[in-house]
Amino acid sequence: MRRARLGTVAAGLAVLLAACGTSNAGTAPSTGSPIIFGAAVSLTGSQSKEGGLTKQGYDLWLDWINQRGGILINNVKHPVQIAYEDDQSNANLSATLVQKLITSEKAQFILGPYGSAATATDAIIAEKNGIPMVESNGAAQSIFNKGYKFTFGVLSPANKYLTGVIDMAATLTPKPTTIAMLNANDNFSLEVGKAVEDYAATKGMTVVFTKSYPAAAPDVSGLISQAKAFNPDIVMNSGHLAESIAINKAAKQLGLNAKIFAYSVGPSTPDFISALGADANYVYDGSQWTPQVKYRPSFYLSVSDYVKAYQTKYNSTEPPDYHVAESTAGCLAFEKAIENAGSLDPSKVRDALAALDVMTFFGQIKFDSRGINIFKPMVVEQIQNGTHYTVFPADVANGKPQYPTPSWSSR
Amino acid sequence: MSQFIQQVVLGLLLGGVYVAVALGFSLVWGILNIVNLAHGALVIVGAYITWDLFTRLHVDPFLSLPIDAVALFVIGYGLQRGVINRVIRAPLLFTFLLTFGINLVIVSLLLLIFTGDFRSVTPSYSGSGLQVGNVIIPYIRLGGLAVALVLAGVLWAILNRTRTGAAILAVGADRDAAQLVGVDLRHVYALTFGIGAAFAGVAGGIISTFQSITPTAGDPYTLQAFAVVILGGLGRVSATIVGGLAFGLIEVLGQSAPRLGSGYANAIAFVVLVVVLVVRPRGLLGRLA
Repeated sequence: MRRARLGTVAAGLAVLLAACGTSNAGTAPSTGSPIIFGAAVSLTGSQSKEGGLTKQGYDLWLDWINQRGGILINNVKHPVQIAYEDDQSNANLSATLVQKLITSEKAQFILGPYGSAATATDAIIAEKNGIPMVESNGAAQSIFNKGYKFTFGVLSPANKYLTGVIDMAATLTPKPTTIAMLNANDNFSLEVGKAVEDYAATKGMTVVFTKSYPAAAPDVSGLISQAKAFNPDIVMNSGHLAESIAINKAAKQLGLNAKIFAYSVGPSTPDFISALGADANYVYDGSQWTPQVKYRPSFYLSVSDYVKAYQTKYNSTEPPDYHVAESTAGCLAFEKAIENAGSLDPSKVRDALAALDVMTFFGQIKFDSRGINIFKPMVVEQIQNGTHYTVFPADVANGKPQYPTPSWSSR
Repeated sequence: MSQFIQQVVLGLLLGGVYVAVALGFSLVWGILNIVNLAHGALVIVGAYITWDLFTRLHVDPFLSLPIDAVALFVIGYGLQRGVINRVIRAPLLFTFLLTFGINLVIVSLLLLIFTGDFRSVTPSYSGSGLQVGNVIIPYIRLGGLAVALVLAGVLWAILNRTRTGAAILAVGADRDAAQLVGVDLRHVYALTFGIGAAFAGVAGGIISTFQSITPTAGDPYTLQAFAVVILGGLGRVSATIVGGLAFGLIEVLGQSAPRLGSGYANAIAFVVLVVVLVVRPRGLLGRLA
C-alpha cells in the first residue's frame, strides 16, 4: 500500500518534471523564416520629402522588432524584412511596383505608400491579390468607400484634418466667424475642404471664399489677393507643404491679415519653420500626432522613448513629425495583428486587423467596417516662437493658443 | 476696381518670371532647333546656387544672380560641347530624348546633393511691398520683373550689337552657309546653349525668392516656357516678353473669374494657346520661318 503510494508520487513527479522540461524549452522561442513586407514609397519626385519620412517611420520599427528577434508567432520568432521600391511620386507607377513586390519579391504584406492618390491605386492591387495592406499616409475617405476588405488605414481620415481647428476657434474670444478656404485640387485636399464647409456651419461660422488650385502651384498670390477682398477671420489651406509655404509668403507680401492661419499639411514639418523663419509663428495646423501627446501605449515605445529612438537613429535634434509616427504606427498594427492571428495566412491576418483594438504611442488603433481608424482624434498645433506647441484639445495640450494673430505690420 | 488692378499687377509680375524663364528656352529653340526639356532643371540649379550663397554666406539673392549666370553658362557650354553637339544633326526626337535624360540626371544629382527638403530664400525685405492706393506691389516680385526686362535687353544687345550675336543669328538662319563663311559651328552652338543656360540660372535665382524650391520644382517651368514661346512666337526677344506677360496675365485673371479655381487658369491659358496656334501659327509676334 505504502509502496504503491510512493510509486504514484514518483510518477507524478516525473510527469511534473517532464512538463517543466517542455515549458522551459517553450520560453526560448526558435527562429523562423523571415516575414517580407513590401512598400512602394516616393524616394524621388515631388513627394520625395514625405516619402522619405514614411520610410524613416518604417525603418525605425524594423530595427526595433529585429533587435527583439522578430514577430512572435506560436513561439517562433520571425525576423522581418522590408522590400522597398521607389514610386517616383507617381501613383500609377506605385500600383505596378506593389504588384512587382508581391510577385517577384514575394512580399507577404504591404505597407502603404505616401499620399492618398498612390494609396488608392495600391489598394486595388492589395485587394486583387488578397494581401493585407496597412497604410499610414492616405487619409482620403474615398479610398475606403469602395468596399475593399484588405486595406486598413491607421491615421485619422481627411474630414477631420481641419475640423479640430474650427472646434478650437469656437472656444476663442472674439469668436472668428468668416473663413476663406483654399484647396489643392486632389481628392484628399478637396475632402478636407468640403468637411470644413459642412462643419463650420454647425459652429456658427461661414465659408465666405473658396477656391481650388492645381497641386504644387508655384504662384498663389492671385488667390490670396482675392481672399483679401473678403477680409476673412480665418484663412485655411488644404494642400501640401509647398503650397502652405507659398500661401504664407503671399499673405505677408499682400498684407492679408487674419486672426487664424491654419494649413492642413506643412506647418508640422521642420521645413516650414526653416523656410519661413519668424513668419511661421502663429500658424496652426491639424496634426495626426505631436511629440507632446499623452497616450499610454500597451506595447512598443512610449511617446518620449519614441522621440529619443528617432533622434538617435537619424542623428537629429528635431523630434519626428507625424508622417514618421503614423508610418511606424502602421507597422505596429501589422505586428499586433500577426501575433493575434498566430499565423502568416493573409486572410487570418486580415481578420485580426479588422478586430484589432490597441493603444500605441500614436493613439488608439482600431478600424471601422470600412478599414478607417475613426477612433483616434486629431490634435491642433501652433508654432510659437519657432517651436511647435500642441494647443488643442486641452487634455493633451502643452500650450495655449496665441490668439488673435497680430497683423503682419505689427510683428 | 482696385481688386482688378491688383490682379493685373500680379499677373504682370508673374509674367515677368515667365519672361525670364522663357528667354533662354526660346534662344536655344530658335537657333539650335532644340526643345530643351532640361531647361527647368537648369533653372533650379540656379535657384540652388542662390539659396546656397544666401544661407551660407548671406549673399543677397539679387547680388548672386551674376554668379548664377556664370556658373550656368559654364555648365551649359560644357553640356552642349560635350554631349548635345553629338546629336545636333540627328532627328528632333533624339534631342528630345537626350535633354529629357539630362533633366533626369540633373534632378537626381540635386536630390543627392540637397535632398528633397524644401528650401527657401527669405531676405529681410521679402514680405514688404510698395503700396499704391489699395494696390500692393511686393518688392521681390517687382525686382524679378525688372531683372527679366534687363535680361531681355542684354539678350537683344548680344544678338544685335555684337559679332558673336551675328554669328549666332547666322547659324540660326543657315548653319551650312555660316560654316562656309568661317563660323566655328561647335563653338557657336555651345555658346548659344551656354547663354540660354545662364539666363535659366538667373531666372532660377529670382524664383528662389518667392517659391520654395525642391529638385523637381523646375519641371512646371519647362512647360510654361514652352507655352510662352508658342504664344509669343519664336525668334524675337520682344515676342518672348509679350508672350510671357500675356501668359502671366491670363493665368492670374483666369483664376479670379467667379467660380473658377486656378486649376481652370491653366486650362484657359492653354485654350488661348491652341487658338493662337490655329489663328496665328507663328505666335503673336513671331517671324515667319
